[in-house]
Amino acid sequence: MTPQALHIKDLVKRYPNGVEALRGVSLEIAPGELFALLGPNGAGKSTLIHCTTGLAQPTAGEISVFGHDAIHDYAEARQAVGLAPQELNIDWFLTAEETLDYHAGYFGMPKRERRERTRELLETFSLTEKAQERTRTLSGGMKRRLILARAMMHRPRLLILDEPTAGVDVELRLELWHYVQRINQEGTTILLTTHYLEEAEQLCDRIAFINDGQIVGEGTSAELSARYGVANLEDAYLALVGRNELSRSHIEVAAQ
Amino acid sequence: MSAAQIRFATLWRREVNRFMKIKKQTLGAPLLETFLYIMVFGAALGSRIKQLHGIEYILFVIPGLIMMAFSVNAFTNNSSSILQQKFQGAIQDQLSSPASPLELLLAFSLGGFVRGLIVATLTFAVSGILVGMPVDHVLVLVPSLFLVGFFFSQLGVLTGVRAEQFDDVAFVQTFVLQPLIFLGGVFYSAALLPQPFETLTRFNPLYYMINLVRYGFVGFTEVSVPLSLLALTAATAAIFAINLRLFARGYKLRA
Repeated sequence: MTPQALHIKDLVKRYPNGVEALRGVSLEIAPGELFALLGPNGAGKSTLIHCTTGLAQPTAGEISVFGHDAIHDYAEARQAVGLAPQELNIDWFLTAEETLDYHAGYFGMPKRERRERTRELLETFSLTEKAQERTRTLSGGMKRRLILARAMMHRPRLLILDEPTAGVDVELRLELWHYVQRINQEGTTILLTTHYLEEAEQLCDRIAFINDGQIVGEGTSAELSARYGVANLEDAYLALVGRNELSRSHIEVAAQ
Repeated sequence: MSAAQIRFATLWRREVNRFMKIKKQTLGAPLLETFLYIMVFGAALGSRIKQLHGIEYILFVIPGLIMMAFSVNAFTNNSSSILQQKFQGAIQDQLSSPASPLELLLAFSLGGFVRGLIVATLTFAVSGILVGMPVDHVLVLVPSLFLVGFFFSQLGVLTGVRAEQFDDVAFVQTFVLQPLIFLGGVFYSAALLPQPFETLTRFNPLYYMINLVRYGFVGFTEVSVPLSLLALTAATAAIFAINLRLFARGYKLRA
């Protein structure tokens, strides 16, 4: 049987201050899927991602990436994952080109291949002219593009995008959508978290809702709407967070 | 090169490139500082003191200055680099790579070690030209300097990992390291101190390090060389083991 791109079972994460950010999360993402994880701030999305990528240490549970243990014997699992985090976590001392080159080096890519891949991704993300600029001089949108390019440098089989379109302009958002769809069609599995529900609806095959550290719903957009007995994904989301009164259908009715 | 070799070389290269990009601050300033010490203590005071234990005063002082340059630079580099990367979040890039705790620890340590080595070597080279600095016991000098550099690299890593703000790093440097170095006998011989300071000096680990390095250069020591080497080796191994354990646990690095 082909292993899942991401297999998470009974994952618990309790922080030292006692906060339980994940309370027994189980999730399966098949190879080649474009999967969205939705939930309010503080629901546990980033903690789940951090546990998968080694930035947080799970309290209990299992995580494997393409069949490789991501917690104890993690080298193969991490090699297979590319992470574009929510925060613009780039090194101010480095140039854009160095940022990509070092990242690929950390993943063991030989020099010649690094050079070619860096050139290719700088071009793809319209950063070629900024290659020699220190990262702190880049605009917010450029930094966001650089983080995405960095995540893709080592050709990960599972790409994790944690709110990649937060704070970017419409043009870049649409460019990103196209790019994400393209690399997904080329075979990369993608896990996306976002607050833009239409983004999840248009791009993703399956969607999971996470709330208060637990997966509370999973399926296609239509399945989730049906489960909550509402017309669309946004209303399903509002039902999840207990804020049905904010539904646009209520606003429209009130306007009439 | 294997993937693991490329990974380690890149982790280490990043640390070295960081301080090479700000050479004025990371290499120029400590070099200037060391030469100011040589000028003041060696040339100005040296003309009055002449000799200590039969050794020309400037030759008595320079080994301590070389050791001080090595240790302070190794410490400062690693503590600042790690804290800065923690602040920026940039350290997540290394932490989410396949690198093992040992690879990460060694790479972070070697950045400061190389910076300390460069400053110490340049200080020695110029001292050699200016005052004809001898090397009496190279077989003691090389391992002593290596251990001192590695010990302070580890101390820098430990401080950087534990620190939550720049004040935490400055505190260790200003209130712990600097007094221990100055009171460890860089500029004087402990035998000249009145009691209880002479005895107190013997509780200062830096005193033994300075004496080892001084013995390597000019052949004079106030402490047992084999015993001091053994103690320094044990202390270095202990701090390395502590750091490795902290890296494996992800202490203050992984949530």
